[in-house]
Amino acid sequence: MRFNNSFNLTYLIFALLGGIILIFLIAPLLGLFFSLKAPQLFSTINDSQVSNSIYRTLLISAFVTLIASLFALPLAYILARKRFPLKGLIEAIIDLPIVIPHSAAGIALLGFISRDSLVGSLASSVGLNLVGSSTAIGMAMAFVSVPFLINSARDGFAAVPVRLEQVAETLGASRYQVFTQISLPLAKRSVISGLVLMFARGMSEFGAVVIVAYHPMTTPVLIFDRFNSFGLDYARPVAAIFIAVTLLIFILLRIYQKR
Amino acid sequence: MMLQIESLEYSVGEFNLGPLSFELEKGGYLAISGPSGSGKSLLMELIAGLRRAKNGKIIIDSANHTFTPPRERPVGLLFQDYALFPHLSVYDNIAFPLRIMKKESKVIDSRVKTLADYFSIEKLTGRDVGTLSGGERQRVALARAIAYEPNILILDEPLSALDEDLREEAKQTLADLKKMGQTIIHVTHNRNEIEGLASKSIALFQGFIKSEF
Repeated sequence: MRFNNSFNLTYLIFALLGGIILIFLIAPLLGLFFSLKAPQLFSTINDSQVSNSIYRTLLISAFVTLIASLFALPLAYILARKRFPLKGLIEAIIDLPIVIPHSAAGIALLGFISRDSLVGSLASSVGLNLVGSSTAIGMAMAFVSVPFLINSARDGFAAVPVRLEQVAETLGASRYQVFTQISLPLAKRSVISGLVLMFARGMSEFGAVVIVAYHPMTTPVLIFDRFNSFGLDYARPVAAIFIAVTLLIFILLRIYQKR
Repeated sequence: MMLQIESLEYSVGEFNLGPLSFELEKGGYLAISGPSGSGKSLLMELIAGLRRAKNGKIIIDSANHTFTPPRERPVGLLFQDYALFPHLSVYDNIAFPLRIMKKESKVIDSRVKTLADYFSIEKLTGRDVGTLSGGERQRVALARAIAYEPNILILDEPLSALDEDLREEAKQTLADLKKMGQTIIHVTHNRNEIEGLASKSIALFQGFIKSEF
């Protein structure tokens, strides 16, 4: 009886503590939406600079997510299936963008693509200026968000029983056929979660993007620009619209994961 | 001879398997028995090509397959847990090796139907494999394993995952396969289950052949 009471009390305290964190997460967002004024919101929705920045942000993030997956999925599969020297170091490198400040990542990337760098000079030799371009935005987005795809896909591949891959091989499948017909379909849920997480994280990126390309403006940069130039009332509707788009994507992901 | 194993050796950690030598005639039914850790699973995986031999030869139907990858070996393998592909239907599981071989869809359809009839699973072909009973799963896995007509069919503890009342039925299925002329290797820790099936038996102990008859 005594054990049962302490058990319930523990849960009650934990629920209260957890509830405070939930309020902390939800209150600023609710506050943002409740403080919106309808005329401002409608004028922001009709503002072509806002809608263009949203399209640009979504398109660049979706494009780099697809391109990055061509490289990230093979790496995730190798990490899930093979043991090799320095594997721990490679996994640490993959997690690096998650732990370093994103403004610092932007500075590093700027050095990598500026005109006096090898990549930048190669690009300018064919008439491309990477800094301040959509390419730079895409690179910044990919840099900070690709770990989410690699880690999610790696966990998905690792959860596929090796035995299923072995039996497919004994049934005549090549390693590539095993990957495309067994491993990838069975890890599909984790791979899609990783793709959506990478896409969402990429489109939300501000710190790295603002350093490599202030213009053309992505929505997070536009929110900062409006706040800096005109104040909170002008930044708030843009932020609310962008948060609504992000939430919609996460709700769709949750529905997919629960299916 | 359908299978000739010559001085086969393999090591993993501190465990050494072999050298082992034995033969199996075409249409024969070889039982490999032994306690856990005797090396029977390693031997099975070596014959199927899932592990690479350290020394010795694996000759299947007069061709040296010691170092050929699993996909090029004429060996079908039925795992203890049946290892059915959970994302594919019963039909697609059985058709899997035929599609890999790029057979025409008419040929695939006809072969799957023949096998489904043979194993009495014709009503299950549209089903999700997750909805099957243990006995049904075994019959689907057997149908898939022999769909591309392998020279040798290896069965890893084929009866141990089944309830008592399903074992006799499954044993009959194996006896029927033997009658069809299929060369079979049956790996088991329980020597009683191979009574009346095996034409040859090998007992392994600590990586060596303890008895052969």
